[in-house]
Amino acid sequence: MLATLAQAVVNGLLIGGIYALVSIGVTLIFGVVKIVNFAQGEFVMIGMYISFFLATRYGIDPLLSLAVSMPVLFLIGVALQHFLIRRVLGLSDMPQIFLTFALSLLLMNLALLLFTANYRTVQTPYSDSALYLGPLYIPVAKLIAFVLAMALSAALWVFLHATDMGKAMRAAAQKPEVAMLMGINTNRVFCVAVGVSLALAGAAGSLLMPFYPASPMAGQVFVLMAFVAVVLGTLGNVKGALVASLMMGVAESLGIQFVGADSGLIVVFLMLLLTLAFRPSGLAGGAAR
Amino acid sequence: MMRGLRHTGVLWLLLLAAVMLALPLVVTSRFAVDIFIRVLLFAFIGVAWNLMGGYAKQLSLGHAAYFGLGAYTSTILQIRFGISPWIGMFAGGVVAMAASLPIGALCFRLRGPYFAIATIATAQVLMLLFLKFRDFAWGAEGTTIPNLGNAPLMMQFDAKAAYYYIALGLLALGLAITYRIERSWVGYYLVAIGEDEDAAEAIGVNALRIKRDIYLVSAFLTALAGTFYVQYIYFIDPATAFSFNISVEAALVSIVGGIGTLWGPVIGTVLLESTSALLQSWLGGSLGGVQLTVYSLILIVVILWRPTGLLGVFTEAYRRIVHARPAPASEAVIDG
Amino acid sequence: MKNGRGRTSQQRQRRREFLIKTAGGALVTTALAAFPLRLRAAEPVNIGALYPVTGSMAQIGQGCVNAAKLAVQMVNDAGGIKSLGGAKLNLIVSDVQSDTTVTRTETDRLINGYKLAAIHGCFASALTLIASEVAERAKVPLITGSSSDQLNKDRHYTFTPFARASQFAQAQLQMSKLVSDKPKVAVIFENTAFGTSTSNGLREKAPAEGVEIVMFEPYSAGFADAGPLINKVKASGADALFSVSYLNDLILIVRTIKQVGLKIALNGGSGGFVIPDFYKSVGTLAEGLQGVAHWNHDCSAEAEKVNAVYKKQYGEFLFEYAGGLVAQTFMLADALERAASTDPEKVRDALAALDVSSGYAAMGPGGRVKFGPDGKNIYAHPVGVQWQNGDLASVFPKDDARAPLVKT
Repeated sequence: MLATLAQAVVNGLLIGGIYALVSIGVTLIFGVVKIVNFAQGEFVMIGMYISFFLATRYGIDPLLSLAVSMPVLFLIGVALQHFLIRRVLGLSDMPQIFLTFALSLLLMNLALLLFTANYRTVQTPYSDSALYLGPLYIPVAKLIAFVLAMALSAALWVFLHATDMGKAMRAAAQKPEVAMLMGINTNRVFCVAVGVSLALAGAAGSLLMPFYPASPMAGQVFVLMAFVAVVLGTLGNVKGALVASLMMGVAESLGIQFVGADSGLIVVFLMLLLTLAFRPSGLAGGAAR
Repeated sequence: MMRGLRHTGVLWLLLLAAVMLALPLVVTSRFAVDIFIRVLLFAFIGVAWNLMGGYAKQLSLGHAAYFGLGAYTSTILQIRFGISPWIGMFAGGVVAMAASLPIGALCFRLRGPYFAIATIATAQVLMLLFLKFRDFAWGAEGTTIPNLGNAPLMMQFDAKAAYYYIALGLLALGLAITYRIERSWVGYYLVAIGEDEDAAEAIGVNALRIKRDIYLVSAFLTALAGTFYVQYIYFIDPATAFSFNISVEAALVSIVGGIGTLWGPVIGTVLLESTSALLQSWLGGSLGGVQLTVYSLILIVVILWRPTGLLGVFTEAYRRIVHARPAPASEAVIDG
Repeated sequence: MKNGRGRTSQQRQRRREFLIKTAGGALVTTALAAFPLRLRAAEPVNIGALYPVTGSMAQIGQGCVNAAKLAVQMVNDAGGIKSLGGAKLNLIVSDVQSDTTVTRTETDRLINGYKLAAIHGCFASALTLIASEVAERAKVPLITGSSSDQLNKDRHYTFTPFARASQFAQAQLQMSKLVSDKPKVAVIFENTAFGTSTSNGLREKAPAEGVEIVMFEPYSAGFADAGPLINKVKASGADALFSVSYLNDLILIVRTIKQVGLKIALNGGSGGFVIPDFYKSVGTLAEGLQGVAHWNHDCSAEAEKVNAVYKKQYGEFLFEYAGGLVAQTFMLADALERAASTDPEKVRDALAALDVSSGYAAMGPGGRVKFGPDGKNIYAHPVGVQWQNGDLASVFPKDDARAPLVKT
């Protein structure tokens, strides 16, 4: 019994790490640019396809392909902010939300057109192996994904707190007018923020490839969980998103194990609604960092 | 002079009504009538959404919750108790209103994106619950409504035109309600809340109560649409009834057409549904993904070009066409 | 009053809006009414084909459409419908986008826009249920390989030439006894129409087959991780796993079982398990896995012939549903021959009287098609299949086995 419980927690944490990578990206964009990116899942999907093609054409391991998927998505992010998002800044949230929503639809269907709906998988030497710690088993591919996800999150944290650009981002997030007065080029900061956020999404995609099949719709599952995590952890709060994602992964896993195999999502949503009932701004309260 | 004006406005309305009533009699293509029904239905859902989302700017992305509750209530009453969907429709509305109270109580304390995501979560929870509790409402398999042929008392008709008129009636109802609210003090308060909720509260508007009340109306109307929908497509299951796509469309038609306006949702639906239908019949048989790619591109262009909705475009175009002639002499006198 | 027209701007605004609505409505009406929706089909016979070419079931839907086109070509190349003067079959394909509403409107559109003699579709039981409802009310015959038992309830216009969900269940249970004497089975199924109808059959028939079900759980289709689910399966102590799933979940389930090192016999049922994509996605992990299908390309010489043609054109073997619908097309051709008419009512009656045991129309387990009063083929039964060397081989029951069962 205890072994089952422990295993359920481990499973939840492992997948929670992936949710975290996606949700951190969403919360970063929201914190800095103040826009909810409904298309984040599709950028995960793009990361997956990049890694898939590199693996099948050139035999590059998905983990190594991070070196390609992250920069490519960073550039896409910069372009996204510069050409698209910039035009809807300052409008009410409705056109903003629907712009990213339409973008999500566009990317999904473009992928369908270009790559067809077939599932694409990558087989790596560690795809099917697991580590054993007593009664617990930890699939290697998922463990690597988790570790790297945490590393990237930590790197983001350092970036935000220890570098000039990071601090400029936080300044622009907290008080955009003041930041401008201090000479910070908000558009450039936004470009970097969106770029970093999409790079994280791309990383999530690459990390998923060893054990998850790519398809045009692959991002949808992750984006839903990411959004719940972002709200749960307070919009704009990176630490909150991380913690919330891990909590949700575990809650989902426990829900499946002990309530019913179809109850994972219900548990997560109920967790969200209950939290909002008592803390309308999410777990971290009103702080936007 | 004033009396003549009011007559003109009413005249236009009567003309419009006459055209809409005659339409199914004139158009012979059943496919076209299908599209009209879709347009009317989704315009109605959009109008219901607009009361909350357009005027009071409460961006709900979970209206499918009420749609589904309406659909399931009438279906359960019909299949398990033999009650006519006409009554079931009303019952569904009541159920939806009841549901809107706790959902509103939870969600109205949330702002902006929090509110939107919480509403998404409520619709999803309902879907998951209906999937899980199978004995109560057929679970994932869903159910078809019994084939009664032509049974007007049970809201089933052989003639498609009948469905058209019901949908038209629903839309007219929604528009009438919106019209009355727009011109009442509730309407002013709604707009005030939409502009700046804190400021509205500061001048004494009980925002929570107004939001709760308008949510009741919005939920009720949306539920009516749900019942109609089941009767029209003969089938219901949780995925269809609580579909996120319905929630999105409810909001999208207002945003594209013009939020917070009477006719905005209607214009938005006409444009979006026609585009979608045209693309389906034009590109629907070809490569997978083409039609939705084009559709989403169009959406992006529209949102970038006119973020407040296309109603403004039409009114501007009208103004330019109609007011192209020189100003009447009397105006010059006033200016002079 | 001095102002020429004496109207407030607000009233002008309203008038504008009324005009726009009317003009817009008229424009749209004219545009749509101008559509040429009625085909004068004097010569060709129109057959409607509704499949999910986009959306979550896109790859299977596309394969079905390919097979449908191939089948029509085969019928036409063989001379078409001779009793109608060599009339060619004209396939009218519509994408139902894996969506129930679109299925509803598209079925209607096809029926009303074209003079259809019959329809086939839609692969997924949930979609077929709706199409068959519409076809029933419109009195147009619909033929399908979808397995839901609900398709045979209160229907006079729906024909199902292949095994039903309840039969699949029985076959799966019997196959589990091939592997062990007293199997302890865990059943997991996605909470869709397909999953629930098949699993219900499993639960009902297990006691009679002497199989103990130790776990019976629906799960949310399209999950991100199969870990929690497989953990639960492991905890149940089962030695066999029946999974009723479409492809995406199956891939994760199979891989997770390997990752976990769980020694369990997986019977993947039908659906996503019996398509080439499954092997492409999980590779050698698929070897030896068993499933059930309502059609397989090794069931007869004709089936292998069609398979060869399909394989040459599309690069992968002809999968269950697609092969079945080739047979269905020939069944329709047979009915049209005997009806000597494109009137849906006559075609329906001709289908009801169908009795074939040779040729492409009879391709399938049992090699014979004859419909009972409820639209079911009285000879239909499923075959047990096994992945062997990257292809599916029929291994069960004895009469249908084309290759020996490989013990893993």
